[in-house]
Amino acid sequence: MDLSLQVHERTLFRRIDWNLVLVMLALQVVGLINLYSATHGPHSEGVEQLFLNQIIWLATGWTIFMVATFVEYTILTKLAYIFYFINLGAILWVTLFGDVALGAQRWIDFGFFKYQPSETMKMCLIMILAKTLSQFNSSGRGMGFKELFWPVVILLIPFGLVVEQPDLGTAMMLVSIGGSMILFCKVRKSILISAILAIAVAIPLAWSYGLRDYQKNRVINFIDPMNDPQGTGYNSIQSRIAVGSGQLVGKGFRKGTQSQLEFLPERHTDFIYSVLSEEHGFIGSLTTIGLFGVFFLIGVRVASTARDKFGALLVVGVLCYVFWHMFVNIGMVIGLLPIVGVPLPLLSYGGSGMITTMTGLGIVSSVAYRRYIF
Amino acid sequence: MADYVSNPDESKEYLPRYKLFYILLAATFSIFFMRLWYLQIIEGEELRTFSEKNRVKQNKILAPRGLMVDRDGKTLVENHPGFEAILSPQYITNLDGVAQAIGPILGQEPEKIVQRVQRSRRQNGPFAQVRIKDNLIKDEVFRLKRIRLDYPGLEIKETVVRHFPMGYNGAQILGYVSEISKRQIPIYNEKYKGDLTFDQGDIIGKTGLEEVLEKHIRGKDGVQLIQVDAFGRETQSNTKNIYGEELSDREPTPGYNVVLTLDKDVQEAAWNSFESHKRIGALVAMKPNGEILAWVSAPSFDPNQFSQGPSQTYWNQLINDPFKPLRNKVIQDHYSPGSTFKAFIALASLQEKEINPTTIINCPGAFAFGRRLYHDHLKGGHGNITVYEALERSSNVFFYKMGIALGIDRMFNYVSTFGIGTRSGIELPREAPGLMPSAQWKKQAIGEEWQAGENLSVAIGQGFVTATPMQMAVAYSAIANKGKVYRPFIVKKIIDHDGKVVKENQELLLRDLTQKQASGISISPETFDVVREGLRRVVQGERGTAKRVQIPGVEIAGKTGTSQVMGFSADQIYAKCDSRPVHQRHHGWFIGWAPADKPEIVVAALGEHSCSGSGGAGPLVHDTMLAYFQKYRPDLIEAGKKSGKKTAAPTAQPQQEVPEGE
Repeated sequence: MDLSLQVHERTLFRRIDWNLVLVMLALQVVGLINLYSATHGPHSEGVEQLFLNQIIWLATGWTIFMVATFVEYTILTKLAYIFYFINLGAILWVTLFGDVALGAQRWIDFGFFKYQPSETMKMCLIMILAKTLSQFNSSGRGMGFKELFWPVVILLIPFGLVVEQPDLGTAMMLVSIGGSMILFCKVRKSILISAILAIAVAIPLAWSYGLRDYQKNRVINFIDPMNDPQGTGYNSIQSRIAVGSGQLVGKGFRKGTQSQLEFLPERHTDFIYSVLSEEHGFIGSLTTIGLFGVFFLIGVRVASTARDKFGALLVVGVLCYVFWHMFVNIGMVIGLLPIVGVPLPLLSYGGSGMITTMTGLGIVSSVAYRRYIF
Repeated sequence: MADYVSNPDESKEYLPRYKLFYILLAATFSIFFMRLWYLQIIEGEELRTFSEKNRVKQNKILAPRGLMVDRDGKTLVENHPGFEAILSPQYITNLDGVAQAIGPILGQEPEKIVQRVQRSRRQNGPFAQVRIKDNLIKDEVFRLKRIRLDYPGLEIKETVVRHFPMGYNGAQILGYVSEISKRQIPIYNEKYKGDLTFDQGDIIGKTGLEEVLEKHIRGKDGVQLIQVDAFGRETQSNTKNIYGEELSDREPTPGYNVVLTLDKDVQEAAWNSFESHKRIGALVAMKPNGEILAWVSAPSFDPNQFSQGPSQTYWNQLINDPFKPLRNKVIQDHYSPGSTFKAFIALASLQEKEINPTTIINCPGAFAFGRRLYHDHLKGGHGNITVYEALERSSNVFFYKMGIALGIDRMFNYVSTFGIGTRSGIELPREAPGLMPSAQWKKQAIGEEWQAGENLSVAIGQGFVTATPMQMAVAYSAIANKGKVYRPFIVKKIIDHDGKVVKENQELLLRDLTQKQASGISISPETFDVVREGLRRVVQGERGTAKRVQIPGVEIAGKTGTSQVMGFSADQIYAKCDSRPVHQRHHGWFIGWAPADKPEIVVAALGEHSCSGSGGAGPLVHDTMLAYFQKYRPDLIEAGKKSGKKTAAPTAQPQQEVPEGE
């Protein structure tokens, strides 16, 4: 009895994908180093606290991660619908009453914690799409109109609501994650081509009729930051200066003038990667991207060895979540994409993002935990 | 557990799909790699400078410009401390807010401030500071300091304000300073390459000695390097661990001081004379060796207003003034010398033996030459007179006859050796050359043959002849000196901040006319003596035209002259000058030296539209000379007072106003 328990415990321990855990920890340590630097400048009275907060969020995140690891992920096939509709209700509430009750914000304020329903919707979308899409066989010609109907509806409802808020950044993120998952499960070539054509037609139409002026301005300012050097353009310019001025080896820990002297906006959240690039240069920037690369390779291995299609799609969904956040965040920091408020997973400061990410990765870990079959 | 094993290969179905993921990852990481390479390696150096510009604010510490003092060390140009309001666009978070806040304090329209900052940001980038107002008064400084912390980008800077204690007096010679214009920056940087550099916002000398002496009196600006954060707040750069190398300041080097040959007392007397007689025109007083003692151009302007950035209305007022206060009339305007020219013709006639000192010439009231009748200013004429009386009474007919006898080419040879028609070489810019015509010149410039009748005009200083007051002063010094032509100068010494003399100017003898000149002429001392005596009689003689210039105790020699503004028909010639509108009145000249036998000071004065030489320009010369002799030769003045009490004042009887010249 004694012995068997020991064996059981050891296998329990050994079944966890430690590579995943290690690369996550590595990225979080990089995040903490830069968060410390970003919150300990000469004028950071009051923000030093953020560093300690982040450690608490990390602890919470890891707890959720461990719990999720040991929870059988298949229960999500049922919970996915419940989560999805509750979340949809929350978004609807924020969209309908948010403007009146909470000004222009997209939050529900719980006092100690501001809850942003559109953020958790990303994870709910991953679950429900994993459930729906796992029913189709991807080895054939791919999905046709009939098969695509429900996944697209599931995706478009929250998308429409978030666009209405309006939060174009999160809406695009939902479409990217959901769209990636659908494409992953193979779509018929004819439909794919017509979809691309439809989008090509829709973009100019949306530009003329759909977008509001401030949204158009944001796109214009991305194309020409000097159009508004003190507004959104300012952030883009300062971030580019920060990244570039890091040169090969960087200015050194806590020596980045752009971040220490507050030329960089939002340096502890959306622009944490600028702080990194400035203080640790090309070498530091590449190392971090490399860590993300390793993370994705581990992720793909987990997905490809998953026990079932639902599990594989969950992992693919979470990887898409991390990938698109990383893509948009770093892309905007290095001046390839317009400035949208998207944090860098595992590195940026923020409770919401950290909890969502760690939940998602917990699910990945749960899938990995169950890949071994006896 | 049974579920787990039901379909173990189920997820293998997706294996071919992961290649999409790999493609996406590979593409993304290649793009990120290239972009980072571009930003950090290729553009890294440039972006590093950008980040340095962000954090290091260069506060220019203006070097104080050198002072200017007169020959006794009295201050002519100095520096006063001042304050200015500056906006640094890179730190401004709310431009409209700042403009709304400071506009009312500085008495400027907020919209204008916004426009200026935006224009500067477009043209010069966000790092260039914009000077909103300088020479702040105490109250403005106080109010700005109170709101400064609420508006990042707003600064109050200490400055140096150029101050001219004499104000209007001597403004054209000392010049004025103001901010360098955008157009001038490259021109100045080219001109002073290797010595000085000029940036936006720099103060430079715009005219006069301030402009000429730029290289010496400018000094080298220092730089104060301050580390600032994104809001323009100064940040301690000695906080170790956080920032790299220490920032080191560079102290400014003050400009050199300049000692001028000017004499402030004489200068002020000359200026006050213009003021009290309400004269416009020019005056230059110099030592016979070329040292300038006083220099007046009237009307004048207040250079102190330029130091503070002149208001548009003041500028318009100066530009539209018909009497051109900004012009330095001593060297920049030339006029017909009129009868003052007769001294040179007398010298030429005597030296060329056309006459001798005792030759008697008949001078009626009019002289027929060709088909024209040439008038004397005195209707009845002067009768039979020698060259002495001809000069004393300024006979026109006498010199008409001399002009015919000499011809233009001989007149040209003599007159031009005195410097008429060539720039005097004074240190100041934009000097007009004047003109002494010759037959050859007329053929080249106008394409016509010289007419014999024009000899008559030239002989009495009319026609094509023009000269600046400066040239006339130099030429008359040569007569006073018996033939020595000196180059005039105004900068005596340039002294560096340690008191070491960097440069010292000495008198420079250009020509000695008693020696043979290039044109083959020379003038004997005896000839000079005859003309000098004639000129002495102009002031001291019984029938002299400039008796009112007399100073008891000091004998003065000189010559009056009238420069015609426009021609008049015969009946108008004798019309009363005062009855004409101001701009039609003649200019009056008086050029003279004193003491007559041993010259110490030469003064040339031109009273524009003052009608006559003795009445218009004479008092200016009189007052200037009086101030000089009161200061340097009080003994002569005292002696003059004593003898003056015994005899009746010669100027007591009202003098007949006689128009001179043609």
